[in-house]
Amino acid sequence: MKAKKIIITLTMSVLMFSYGFGQTIAGSAHDFSQETWNPNGEICQVCHTPHGAVIGLVAPLWNHEVSTATYQLYTNLISPSFDGITTQPDGSSKLCLSCHDGTVPLDNFGGATGGSEFITGNELIGTNLTTEHPISFIYDAALATTDGGLFDPTTQTSGLGGTIDGDMLLAQKLQCSSCHDVHNGSGVGNLLIKSNAGSALCLTCHNM
Amino acid sequence: MKNLKIIFLFFLLIISPMRIFSQTIITTKHNLSISSSGTIKATSESEICIFCHSPHKSSPRSPLWNKNIPGTNYILYKSSTFDAVQGQPDGSSMLCLSCHDGTIALGEIASRPFPIEMTGQLAGKSSLTTDLSNDHPVSFVYDALLATTDGQLKTPPLPNMELDKNSKLQCTSCHDPHKDIYSNFLVTTNEFSNLCFVCHDRTYWDNSTHKTSLNTWNGTGDNPWSHLESAYLNVSQNGCENCHDTHNAKGNKRLLKALTEEDNCLDCHNGNVALKNVQADITKTYRHDVYGYTNIHDPTEDVLSNTKHVECQDCHNPHASNKTTNSAPYLKGYNKGVNGINQSGNIVNPAMFEYEMCYKCHSDSFWTPVSAFPRLINENNTRLEFDISNPSFHPVVGARNNSEVSANLIYPNTISTILYCSDCHASNNSNVSGPHGSIYPYILKNQYLTDDYTVESPTAYQLCYSCHNRNNIINDNNTFPEHKKHIVKEDSPCSACHDPHGISSMQGSSFNNSNLINFRTDIVFPSSSGLLKFEDTGVRSGRCYLTCHGEDHNPESY
Repeated sequence: MKAKKIIITLTMSVLMFSYGFGQTIAGSAHDFSQETWNPNGEICQVCHTPHGAVIGLVAPLWNHEVSTATYQLYTNLISPSFDGITTQPDGSSKLCLSCHDGTVPLDNFGGATGGSEFITGNELIGTNLTTEHPISFIYDAALATTDGGLFDPTTQTSGLGGTIDGDMLLAQKLQCSSCHDVHNGSGVGNLLIKSNAGSALCLTCHNM
Repeated sequence: MKNLKIIFLFFLLIISPMRIFSQTIITTKHNLSISSSGTIKATSESEICIFCHSPHKSSPRSPLWNKNIPGTNYILYKSSTFDAVQGQPDGSSMLCLSCHDGTIALGEIASRPFPIEMTGQLAGKSSLTTDLSNDHPVSFVYDALLATTDGQLKTPPLPNMELDKNSKLQCTSCHDPHKDIYSNFLVTTNEFSNLCFVCHDRTYWDNSTHKTSLNTWNGTGDNPWSHLESAYLNVSQNGCENCHDTHNAKGNKRLLKALTEEDNCLDCHNGNVALKNVQADITKTYRHDVYGYTNIHDPTEDVLSNTKHVECQDCHNPHASNKTTNSAPYLKGYNKGVNGINQSGNIVNPAMFEYEMCYKCHSDSFWTPVSAFPRLINENNTRLEFDISNPSFHPVVGARNNSEVSANLIYPNTISTILYCSDCHASNNSNVSGPHGSIYPYILKNQYLTDDYTVESPTAYQLCYSCHNRNNIINDNNTFPEHKKHIVKEDSPCSACHDPHGISSMQGSSFNNSNLINFRTDIVFPSSSGLLKFEDTGVRSGRCYLTCHGEDHNPESY
């Protein structure tokens, strides 16, 4: 068991080094090893399992109960200047919301269903996404052109080594992971993929 | 990329040294972070977007608004010429007001429990306050109906003109808070008032001197453009903003730059921008006293029932006025686009003839100024005095065609000449035409003495003698054969016998009132038989029943 943890940690460390920071999830806001509702004290287990993962998800060995909530979306009815088309959250954002929408107990992982620990405070996003930055929409060159206030993700650099499309989008879609690195790869506060000092993260995509 | 941006900025600075251009919010005043080059900034916060937007836990306002919305009731813009249905500000304008009304601290944002610590505060035009009565209206539906009702607005949809999803005009119709390319965050340049004219469709404006003048301020006196944060150099470039102010306008109605009407005009028309000095004329003793009235004139007023006043705008339409010359009685370019009352007594808009403009106050109005002297026939309505069906009249509405007077008219005047009111009533000794002010009573262009026992001279009746040949008159050539006796020997003024405007056919007759005869009853009295009248018995022949200077004519014939 300990060896497994070492291997995973090692693997992740290698991945992190590719970002050039070398931060780890250990000690970050996503390190739940000290939580009472995580009696095993494992870090990764709350979300991942090497065996017997949730079936039917395009997700990395998912180990947490997935939310079935329907969300109020950020659309151009909410903001007429928003030109993207949001769908119900999909991809990795769905995984984030499985804790952050507050409908699934944090401790419903590894097959457990009777959890009672819910996310609270600033981290609770809820199911009303109209006051949240839109996610799960295609952000491509066409959207940048239509909007006029966005960089072309296929050519604009992300500041992380490649383009916005390559470094921040998943299958052309903007997701939670476009801004957040859940594993704390950069070591920046709020688990951001890069510092937002000077609103640098916002202005990576927003041409303002 | 950074180099490119620097080159671009440098290029923009070169092509217009007056302006500070900024294509990214980072270099604008809307960067409130510590990195701002402005005076209003955070003491330590480095994020820029956060002052208005938050990716999470934003207010319910889009787009991801990060300020609370003021719970304020605003004082709204009001004007008799504003036709839109206006409510309290809404939509994106509320977002702007959540800083610019001054009720919510700049650093107070929804996504954080404690305000961001700031230095500096909103001032000048950035501080709109909750009194929006002096700001261009926002949050009203701008549709084809409004354009039709108003008559001076272009019909939407308009290119380069953004209305919100409810077809409302908002702050963002003129301002892009993220880009400051054209100064003041305008969406396009307002040089020549290009931005204003995206919507406003001013009749006549294209030919107006205020559109075309390249005059600049000579640096003397008050700066006529001090209300602008970044004025252009000449009148044409400043366009609407020569007189109007879109925010915090001192004259809130119609957003004029000054509350007192004439102050909007005379800070240029004093020789410091406009070459001619109207202000010098309008401060003379006898004047159209625009200084004497404030806040009475209204562009929608009923000229037949309004309260007594006179303002520059009564005779001049600043959106239309130009230097086009004309011949009497047609209105001069200076007065183009003003309304009037026609010879039939009906309101006309615009006026076609100069006298129609004068009739607004000098005809049927209940406060029409009274005549200068008591006469046998008293009439204050100049419209009736100048009617061409009258027994006699000065040719203002139409030619006199009186052959009796023809031999005494000085070239180029003939019996078919038509005069402007402003040929007699005008500023004395001035290169400015028009009756702004004179040292002579009745705002006359030249001297016209009216006291009894006035010693005759070329200057005593200079006004009359500028058209009527003095030599002929005082030597009784081709004229009333007793002129010399009356005006030279007896020192009687012209006005003792002549009523210069005319005698209405409703009151007088060609038998009693030819040749503008209408005796002043303060100089001329009844004869010993109690009669006071003139009778016309033919060409340069007639008889008078009167007593004057102790002489009894009962009658005296010639």
